[in-house]
Amino acid sequence: MHRLDPRTKIVLTFVYILSLFIFENPAVYAVAALFLIIEIILSRIPILYMVKGLKPVAFLLAFTVAVNLLFTGGQELFSFWIFTVTIEGIKRSSYLIGRLIFLVLASNLMTLTTAPVSLTNALEYLMRPLKLFKVPVHEVAMMMSIALRFIPILVDEANKIMKAQMARGADFDSGNIIKKTKSFVPIIIPLFVSAFRRANNLAQAMEARCYNGGEGRTRLNPLKYRRGDVVAYVLLVIYAVLIVLMGCFLFKAPPVAL
Amino acid sequence: MKTEKVNELNELNTDIPILEAKHLVFEYRTGAAKPVRAVYDVSFSVWPGEFIGLIGHTGSGKSTLLQLLNALETPASGTVYFKGQDIFEKRYDRKKLRGKVGLVFQYPEHQLFAETVFADVCFGPLNMGVDRKQAELTAYDTIKQVGLEDECFYKSPFDLSGGQKRRAAIAGVLAMKPEVLILDEPTAGLDPKGRDELLDMIASLRDKENMTIILVSHSMEDVARYADRIMVMNEGRLILDDTVSTVFKHRQEIKTAGLSVPEVSEIVAELSAAGLPIRDDIFTVDEAAEEILRVLKEYRVI
Amino acid sequence: MPIVDLKNVTFEYIRRDNEGNVDGITTAVDGVSLKVVPGEFIAVLGANGSGKSTLAKHINALLFPTEGAVYVDGMNTADEDKLLEIRSAAGMIFQNPDDQIIGQIVEEDVAFGPENLGVPTEEIRERVSDSLNAVGMSEYGLRSPDRLSGGQKQRVSIASVIAMKPKCIIMDEPTAMIDPEGRREILETAHRLNKEEKITMILITHYMEEVVDADRVFVMDKGKVAMSGTPAEIFSRVSELQELRLTVPQATGLAYKLKMAGVPIRDGILTGDELVNAIMKLWPVAK
Repeated sequence: MHRLDPRTKIVLTFVYILSLFIFENPAVYAVAALFLIIEIILSRIPILYMVKGLKPVAFLLAFTVAVNLLFTGGQELFSFWIFTVTIEGIKRSSYLIGRLIFLVLASNLMTLTTAPVSLTNALEYLMRPLKLFKVPVHEVAMMMSIALRFIPILVDEANKIMKAQMARGADFDSGNIIKKTKSFVPIIIPLFVSAFRRANNLAQAMEARCYNGGEGRTRLNPLKYRRGDVVAYVLLVIYAVLIVLMGCFLFKAPPVAL
Repeated sequence: MKTEKVNELNELNTDIPILEAKHLVFEYRTGAAKPVRAVYDVSFSVWPGEFIGLIGHTGSGKSTLLQLLNALETPASGTVYFKGQDIFEKRYDRKKLRGKVGLVFQYPEHQLFAETVFADVCFGPLNMGVDRKQAELTAYDTIKQVGLEDECFYKSPFDLSGGQKRRAAIAGVLAMKPEVLILDEPTAGLDPKGRDELLDMIASLRDKENMTIILVSHSMEDVARYADRIMVMNEGRLILDDTVSTVFKHRQEIKTAGLSVPEVSEIVAELSAAGLPIRDDIFTVDEAAEEILRVLKEYRVI
Repeated sequence: MPIVDLKNVTFEYIRRDNEGNVDGITTAVDGVSLKVVPGEFIAVLGANGSGKSTLAKHINALLFPTEGAVYVDGMNTADEDKLLEIRSAAGMIFQNPDDQIIGQIVEEDVAFGPENLGVPTEEIRERVSDSLNAVGMSEYGLRSPDRLSGGQKQRVSIASVIAMKPKCIIMDEPTAMIDPEGRREILETAHRLNKEEKITMILITHYMEEVVDADRVFVMDKGKVAMSGTPAEIFSRVSELQELRLTVPQATGLAYKLKMAGVPIRDGILTGDELVNAIMKLWPVAK
């Protein structure tokens, strides 16, 4: 998994997520689950660690389930107070929860096995056709990678400024919403000033090292497809065919629109 | 030695320590299961009117220690007393404390935000609940005190020169009228004259207002010149805490901690080793010159 | 041919007030002429705002003179076609270690310059490992720069510049934000590269101790070169330096004080050893 070309991983993840949205039937989801489990095993990332990755979206999951469970019309199963639970609701929410979990796991899997640098490189490559439409692909990719480099630095900086203002008696917890919002001004302004200063310095440093846009650049780590990637693409095609077959014919259900 | 000194200081400053750290331990969590310890069991007392130099290389835990002293960080165990009161006790007013134990961060000019220098300096006292008029009066005095000219008052802090920004930011902390002033490398990036001017200003706060000063610095020379007591941190521990002359006698420990003694103390030590009958507890250029002259005159070399 | 040749360089910029009106003209660099011979280790001293940083940026063609001309390795920086050549011949290290590392891993950062120059992949790899070796950071190639110390980050920046095979490196206060240990690492690296790789070094600083081992020193004041000479020559002019908001290393300062008090020792003492020897030379006379 770790050694696959980042382009392969992006395409893989993209097709996988697409498959979750196009079809909605138990067989497809079973295949999708199987596919994901195999991927996780191949990646050698501890399952527990993957499950932990779901934590941040747990609230969203619960909320979606609750809404769909309680507010989907259809055949009534049972009801209490003002809520009615229907068979359709159960179906709908279990699809949704499956879809969300698969989606989060698949994208986590991609980011966990790939360095951000390679991801931006791969995106730059995959988006190249967009150049025809005058999209500045190289610049976008460069922006992404600089952003990735500077986010931790700026988070650190924000933390420092916040503490410095607290040392001057600033209070970020009390008061009403207006007061609270106002209390962030002494953080936001220095943070902006610092971000601009850094941006300026960085631009100079890049210029000093002969940065001149994307034209004529070579790469330390050019993207190269290996045998593993071919295997992965073949598997992907098999998966796609399987899903389409099952989605369209096995249950004779029309594909649900995006 | 240490108890002796404490007693001596005790006589000087009658009552209790102004700040007292007791068995401070600080840990932070990374991704790993086990938390990382940044400060190990650190205890010390600070007496009113002391000028303490705190040294240690980057990552020695000194920055964390500073933030524990005014409750910006919370210790895993141990505590800090300000004038005998436990600052980590539930009902203790930590916001007020930060006005009493002023902390000037490294590169404090990065926290300037208001439209004018004057407004920025008022920020602290206003947060402390001082009424506007009083806050402005204090701000006025403090800006003068740090040596900024009148024309700076209504300038945007972002239009000041580097050295002026630094002073304005320090004024922002001083305006809260702290009793203890802690400064984290206040002279970083300044030219030699700027360094001297700023340190002189800080020393005058102690001399004129009897403010207690804790100065963090990489420069042994600066610490030797201004402090009367030195604390050395290494790998989260307080490895030395004594008078300047005693600390600089522990050369080996200082070097192991990745630090160095002032160049002039090395020169004096070498002269002494070479046979010049010279005192060896010297760490400023002026003292060294005086002592060398004394010896040379006594032996009629000059 | 000098590697760096500044001919009467003046740099002015227009100050504006809050409303954007012209407030006045500041002359940051004022008629500076100086030549640097290949292989030299040059130090530039000066107080904050003396124009030393502005001058440095001219050598790397980040700024262009309002008057006069800057030649790097025989190329005029005003010649736009030569821009990349000039920037790779005269590499630049900046003050803040965080704001000049572009790559998310050390290796990528070192490769950034050669990538821009269109160097073929295999050669980039070679240059990256040679450069990291030269600054003693080979083991850190795959690390994230965020985890390094200040001194290490600056060494990575030096490696990143060396990877472009420069003839000259300009270091603009590379140690200002670094602790003493890191400062030592950076200085050692600079001197080693100067000796072993014959790279010309121009070090801008206001730490006096860092100047002692330079071949020549320039002291800037208000945009002009106020003093120039060997470190020994410069540091024997103690009171002039103090007027320029600078100081001297402690050994030099002590020697100066003793001399003023009538002790017969020579001028231009730079290190503690020199001073100890000078004093001990007087000593046996007494016995």
